[in-house]
Amino acid sequence: MSPAHPQSALLKAAPLAILLLFLGQAFLSARLGRWVHPEPVEYSQAVRMDKRVASTLRAAAFLSGYKVLVGHAFWIKVIQYYGDSFNSLDRYSKLYDYCSLASDLNPRFISVYTLGASALAFHLRRMDEAIRLLQKGINSNPKDQRLKLMLAAVSYQDSGEFDKAIPFLEAQIDQGDAPYMLITILANVYEKVGRYGDAIKLWQKILRESDQQEPRIRAGLKLQELYGLEKSGKKAKP
Amino acid sequence: MKRIAAVAVFTFRELVRSKLLFVWLISVVVLLGLAFLLSILSYGDILNIFMDLGLVGMEVSGLMVLILSLAVTYTTEMDQKAIYLQLAKPVTRGEYLLGRILGFFLLNALVVLGMGMVVVGLVLFLGGAPVPTLFYDCVVFLLMEMLVLTVVGLTFQMIATSMVGVVVYSFFTIFLGHLTGEIQWLLGKELAPATKFALQVVYVALPNLEVYNLKDRMYDPTMVLGLPQWEEVVLYTIAYSFFVFLIGWVNLEKREFK
Repeated sequence: MSPAHPQSALLKAAPLAILLLFLGQAFLSARLGRWVHPEPVEYSQAVRMDKRVASTLRAAAFLSGYKVLVGHAFWIKVIQYYGDSFNSLDRYSKLYDYCSLASDLNPRFISVYTLGASALAFHLRRMDEAIRLLQKGINSNPKDQRLKLMLAAVSYQDSGEFDKAIPFLEAQIDQGDAPYMLITILANVYEKVGRYGDAIKLWQKILRESDQQEPRIRAGLKLQELYGLEKSGKKAKP
Repeated sequence: MKRIAAVAVFTFRELVRSKLLFVWLISVVVLLGLAFLLSILSYGDILNIFMDLGLVGMEVSGLMVLILSLAVTYTTEMDQKAIYLQLAKPVTRGEYLLGRILGFFLLNALVVLGMGMVVVGLVLFLGGAPVPTLFYDCVVFLLMEMLVLTVVGLTFQMIATSMVGVVVYSFFTIFLGHLTGEIQWLLGKELAPATKFALQVVYVALPNLEVYNLKDRMYDPTMVLGLPQWEEVVLYTIAYSFFVFLIGWVNLEKREFK
């Protein structure tokens, strides 16, 4: 390398350039840090689930930088937890903690809030937890209308005004790919408000489309009951 | 400029010939297969999940190829002394380093864009859904992240004395670079002065990789990504890359090859 090369001048100025660039990048990094995290990060505390599991998952997500990936993988674990009938023995006691952790990892994934709150409110009757989960979802996704509608539906369910929950549930099912649980909830709400024809259609849908034995048996029994109610013109018990 | 381009093309060819693209091909099949499996196993918007995981796959395959290529080229360049041949030519050490950075980045861009095209193709033609505009922003951010990590990796190559060192330093930079948000949160807490100082050093010295982590905020309705943000991110990328490049260059100049 020739010593008279123009690059040697730049090399001589390198220490000063390194210092200036270091300060510049540190300044920009701090500015961009405020853009990435406009509000301080807040994490929910696990109450019923193992705190070590929650901490390990958070550490894996933050260290790798793949919060969304860990969030999606953990969400499958939540679905499995809710789908395992063995966990019904303790009324799915960890469900809120699981949903809360899944939403910490992936706060923009709306299904965590909608499915979690549906299960907590309409199936397990844990209205406080369902409302807390939905409020968390609305805080993270202030423009999402579904969560606000659902919060209204859960509140109506809590106050016994079932008919007001119907539009939300119908909207969710019309989006397609609705879980079996949500369809049964709507069918039961129809029954409660005396809309037997609509309830029958939904149970027929479950009977036709479900690939599992248990929902089909339940649908068959419900249909017998509803045909009887429809024939006699009786109102369902509230 | 010609000399830099010549080194870049030579490096790119060297990397392609070392069959690193097979790693990419395998990762396309494995990671996209995994993304597809996870999205159908999950409950929710399948296409959203697939795109999220596709972006993760793009980043992972880019990082895998980068770290493997750093390891492979350290062995050939430094251990087997191939760098002698390069530096014996009328190329300055600064041009050599810049050329190598460009060569590495070309390969990485090929890997990331190739996988991105597969993801977009699958979403458009199989999923039948439009790809959100932010997806393309994510890809550009990913490329900027790859540029920063390429410069950092090659600087480590100039500083480190073994291939293991290069790989370990690069891994730690990637891990800690994603923790800047949490370090910032920790700095707001009451800590021992020495711990706080150490955290501050880590915070300002490491690349803030969370800046490029647009994939985690793709569906964030509150996120603002306008011209000022773009300008700042591009400026940050240039400033950080040039800062690290200068450190690598100074080290290469001082390094004696025996």
